Amino acid sequence: MNFVWRRAAAIARKEWFHIRRDPFTLALALVLPPVMVVVYGLVIDFNIKDVRLSVSDGDRSQTSRRLIETFGSSDYFRIQPVASPGAAVQDVTAERAKAALVIPPRFEKDLLAGRGAQAQVLIDGADNSTVGPVSDYVAAIQTLASERIAGGIGSSAGAGRTDFLTAGAGADLTPPYELRTRYLFNPELNSRWFVIPGLTVVIMAILSIFLTALTVAREWENGSMEMLLSTPVEPVEIIVGKAAPYAALGAVSVGFVYVIARAAFGVPFQGHLWVFGLGCILFLFTYLAQGLLISVVTRQQTIAMQFSMLTGMLPSNMLSGFVFPIASMPTFFWYFTMLFPARWFMVIARNSFLVGSSLAQLAGPFAALGVSCAVMTTLAVRRFKRTLE
Amino acid sequence: MNRTLLGFIKKELIQALRDPRMKFILFVTPIVQMTLFGVAISNEVKNIRLAAVFDSKDYVLRDVYERAIQGGWFVPAQATGATAADPFGLIRADKADAVLVPPPGGFTRALGRGDARLQLLVDATNVLQAQSVEGYIRQIVQETLRTDLGIAPPQPPILFDVRVLFNPSLDTSIFMVPGVMTMLMILTTLVLTCIAIVREKELGTFEMMISAPVSKSEVIFGKTLPYVLIGMTNLPLILGVAVFVFHVPMRGSFLALIGATLAFVCSTVAMGTLISTFCKNQQQSSMGTFLFMFPAIMFSGLMFPVENMPRSLRWMAALDPMAHYLSLLRNIMLKAGDLRALAPHIAILIALAVVSGIVSFRRFHTTLQ
Repeated sequence: MNFVWRRAAAIARKEWFHIRRDPFTLALALVLPPVMVVVYGLVIDFNIKDVRLSVSDGDRSQTSRRLIETFGSSDYFRIQPVASPGAAVQDVTAERAKAALVIPPRFEKDLLAGRGAQAQVLIDGADNSTVGPVSDYVAAIQTLASERIAGGIGSSAGAGRTDFLTAGAGADLTPPYELRTRYLFNPELNSRWFVIPGLTVVIMAILSIFLTALTVAREWENGSMEMLLSTPVEPVEIIVGKAAPYAALGAVSVGFVYVIARAAFGVPFQGHLWVFGLGCILFLFTYLAQGLLISVVTRQQTIAMQFSMLTGMLPSNMLSGFVFPIASMPTFFWYFTMLFPARWFMVIARNSFLVGSSLAQLAGPFAALGVSCAVMTTLAVRRFKRTLE
Repeated sequence: MNRTLLGFIKKELIQALRDPRMKFILFVTPIVQMTLFGVAISNEVKNIRLAAVFDSKDYVLRDVYERAIQGGWFVPAQATGATAADPFGLIRADKADAVLVPPPGGFTRALGRGDARLQLLVDATNVLQAQSVEGYIRQIVQETLRTDLGIAPPQPPILFDVRVLFNPSLDTSIFMVPGVMTMLMILTTLVLTCIAIVREKELGTFEMMISAPVSKSEVIFGKTLPYVLIGMTNLPLILGVAVFVFHVPMRGSFLALIGATLAFVCSTVAMGTLISTFCKNQQQSSMGTFLFMFPAIMFSGLMFPVENMPRSLRWMAALDPMAHYLSLLRNIMLKAGDLRALAPHIAILIALAVVSGIVSFRRFHTTLQ
């Protein structure tokens, strides 16, 4: 097998004409990723605010009002008063509220008697993306409300309400130690710093697979493949020639995304540009090769499309560690996800933006990415050869 | 139903299912994916690699560490104990996700002095994970102090009895399965419809159909109804996996579920048709469906909370059929479906189907001339 650059370049030029003739694809490849990063950068936020909270106040005392006030003034909750506990539950069931607070009639009396006043909080457990944050907020508000109400009663001590304080129930809420948490690399836990580098990976993965998955299949369907095969061009040259223009498109659009992430969203970039760039190139070629492999194997655009959805879009969204943590998956998946290059590039991208390790420290992910790139390209070329025979 | 249309539907079904690979994609992969994703994905944070810096005398911190490991949320990082001399380095080199650093002289002695400051370093590259770690550690330290030293934290005067409705044991698969179902349903219907129509355009067989004695509505319904059918046959498959493999409850009425699914499938098929009217070839249609699917997944509420989107962008979620179907599934399967809560979602799905149906009907006309 002899690889002639000139022939590969000719294929690349021909493919480039294809792309240029089709401004729709060109626009999508160049404009779509930056637009998506902007939109999702604006939209995606894990710190939810204004959670609708239906409140049934069965006590109607000063204390219960203060508790509700604590919820309402926290920015996290928006209070919707309802008449009865049943109505509060009904609100959660009917999606009119994400959580409900039910204060029993003897709330203040229990508090003053030092028994500890108990209110019930009901959280909508049908919505996976809000249960976690809402329960965190509730825990935070419990502390806050305890301090406030204890303090409030303390200040009105003259009104003969000291018994609860002297009972020691809320006198000193500070624990005997102090836990100081330092969040490294993203001290303010900014969701965007977390999401945007990940989004880069997901968008690049899907785009590169989709761009190439149909190219070879299309030639088979149109019959132009037969013609291509009668020329002296080698399979490797076809694969490289077909992938190169799309790789260039992908690289340009990564550039756009990078600029937007830095300029519009202020995501830091701690790493080395060339490390990130190397990762990008390996990653792009892996997925372009995967797209070509799909195209070579299926030979039919309809099926190629379904395959790219199944092997490109879903895993890079779900199994790359983009949102759903890989460490939490069962052991089998810990190994299974290693098959997806998106998982490795996710590590490289997040690290380059937020941590900034050297190439040597990222050797693992890079090696994995290099291997999958080599495997995908070889497979694509091999399969291509076999279809010729 | 007239005979032409029936013939048309038959032809389309034969064409779609002729390829065994397509049958596999349509009927086997949803089951496989449902199982895979149902097992794998969750919002829960587990297996956080924890390291702690302690010497042999610092028994309280050692207890905290051991309790953390036993608790199930944490796993030991490669380097821990006295060897964890450089906590920052550990996190930077990605050998640990969180490190507990005691004050000089150890946590146990500092507790005796009364100024115990325990530092927790967390790798916040993963914001979701970082948020959970602090809560976990705080709870574990409190428990350890209670059992080791008998220091009970003062009981706060106000207690919350927190209950998570509909999924009290916080079963991950109950959280995630409705979302996965939604995604698989849209994958088959929307993509398939769009590409099937565009293929006829690309191959030129559409021209042939125009010259045949069939009306425009027969062409459109003949082209789309088969995909509604195929979409509906997917429901029992993935519902079966949801109920029998993952034990997701089916509390609501089956009829409501079928109605909701039908509305959803009609809307996605109509939207696929609409996208197809903008595309000249299959590559364009693949980009077009991607253009639709990606935001649809993002705004569905499966991956991110859609609660606090900026108001100016909320219409995107309101127009997302996936978001409505996900709400419907959660509502019917987990909450036993209050009809008043279901109605608006179904209404929007039907409206989406009707509007995109009408628009594509109009556009069809013009593209054929």
